[in-house]
Amino acid sequence: MPHLKASYAKYQNDPNVAFLLVSIDEDMKRLQRYINEMKFPFPVARLTTADAEKVMGIDNTPTTFYVGTDGIVRYMVVGGESHGDSPARVSWYVDQLKAGK
Amino acid sequence: MHRSLLIVGAIATAAAGAIAQTPSPREQLARGQALWEQRLAKSAIAALEIAARDNVIAAEAHEALGRLYTYKGWLQDNVMPGWHDEPSVRAKAIAELKASIAADPTRASAQEALRTAEGYAAADAVDPAPPRPEIRALDQRLQSFQTKTDAAIAEILAALEARAKAQADPAPYFVAAQILIDRGEYDRAIAIAAQGAAASDKFIDENLSAYMLPGKSQGSYARGRGQAADLTGWALFLKKDYAGATAKLEEAERLSQGADFANQFHLGELARTQNDTAQAREHYLNALSLAGGPAPLRQRATQALDAMQIAPVAAGGFEAWLESQLARRREERKTAVLKSLIDRPLPKLALTTVDGRPYDTSSLRGKVLLLNFFASW
Repeated sequence: MPHLKASYAKYQNDPNVAFLLVSIDEDMKRLQRYINEMKFPFPVARLTTADAEKVMGIDNTPTTFYVGTDGIVRYMVVGGESHGDSPARVSWYVDQLKAGK
Repeated sequence: MHRSLLIVGAIATAAAGAIAQTPSPREQLARGQALWEQRLAKSAIAALEIAARDNVIAAEAHEALGRLYTYKGWLQDNVMPGWHDEPSVRAKAIAELKASIAADPTRASAQEALRTAEGYAAADAVDPAPPRPEIRALDQRLQSFQTKTDAAIAEILAALEARAKAQADPAPYFVAAQILIDRGEYDRAIAIAAQGAAASDKFIDENLSAYMLPGKSQGSYARGRGQAADLTGWALFLKKDYAGATAKLEEAERLSQGADFANQFHLGELARTQNDTAQAREHYLNALSLAGGPAPLRQRATQALDAMQIAPVAAGGFEAWLESQLARRREERKTAVLKSLIDRPLPKLALTTVDGRPYDTSSLRGKVLLLNFFASW
């Protein structure tokens, strides 16, 4: 998750880009503690695990979707980042979509 | 006449046998506790639930169930790779401990366990269970044979058996298989890797609810089977059974989705032995583009690439060529994404705020959106 904060620095003043975290936690205390700790600069919403599985086909976390300005899902990335170049990966997806690709 | 008597006799004997084989409630209790010691949750729960129906031992059995659910509800986060706490069993933990006290109001251990569970329920944060010292000691005993190269094979097998009996996860089988490979005991290593794959499947089945999401349990099944296939393939390679090694190492590659360092390195060694330099180069480069892998093996992969001198290395020399190859592979992995929802409109989601009110998504419309699903566990 820290890599999302790092990536967001580039877009925080960009009116055409939004980041939204969606938690599927059941333990609200734990989620609240995590949010307090992480101090995300973007909003956090919730969805039930059942909905996340059924509607978005999520069977693992983290799962990241990149959606174009037309509301079409363009990329889906499942799992953690193993190469240490995560913020660059995130901007690559976002910049592709900003350029309308 | 004689014949029917014989049959009646046989039935009577079978019935007596069946009665003798049905474990008593007390045996079920002991069995349930032993299974839980090994962290075989599903079978442990089943045995303890049977035991709890017997009035004489109900208090003891309910307490054991309560302690088990306390662990699952609050303490098992990352105790095993892929495990998470299960908030859904927390109420069960407290109910079982109360049932224990109802069956025997003087039961001090259950009262103490209930206080602990209620403390967890009220706490802001509960730390996961620490590693069990007795398991750690058995792990260290088994691992000591990595360097004790003159130890008798029987000693290694005894250390494996002791560890596997204490906790039912597959890790010790894979450690032992690698030690046996290093000792040249290939057939034994292959047999033990197969036991490890079976233990891995069983351990995940027994603890399926701890994985929370199907992708996490599937990932764990694949890791166990992949590790077994890789060890088997490597042992076959060292036995010079190249056809067998190819089949097993490729199976491991499918299971690890080409993202396991050791497996890519082994495939590289196999291809090089068969003089398939193009393949060997691919696998060594894949291995090096992945995180992990012990330094000596990374060095061997780099040296093998350097020694192959395959492509005319452009200006900048081997180092620059290697770096550009690794960068390209990382880039390719970046663009390899799943396809399910791709190129379809984002479905409508019943999002709420963290405190449970409907979440208004109107401000997101018309923007490039990064939507990250996560869990704090």
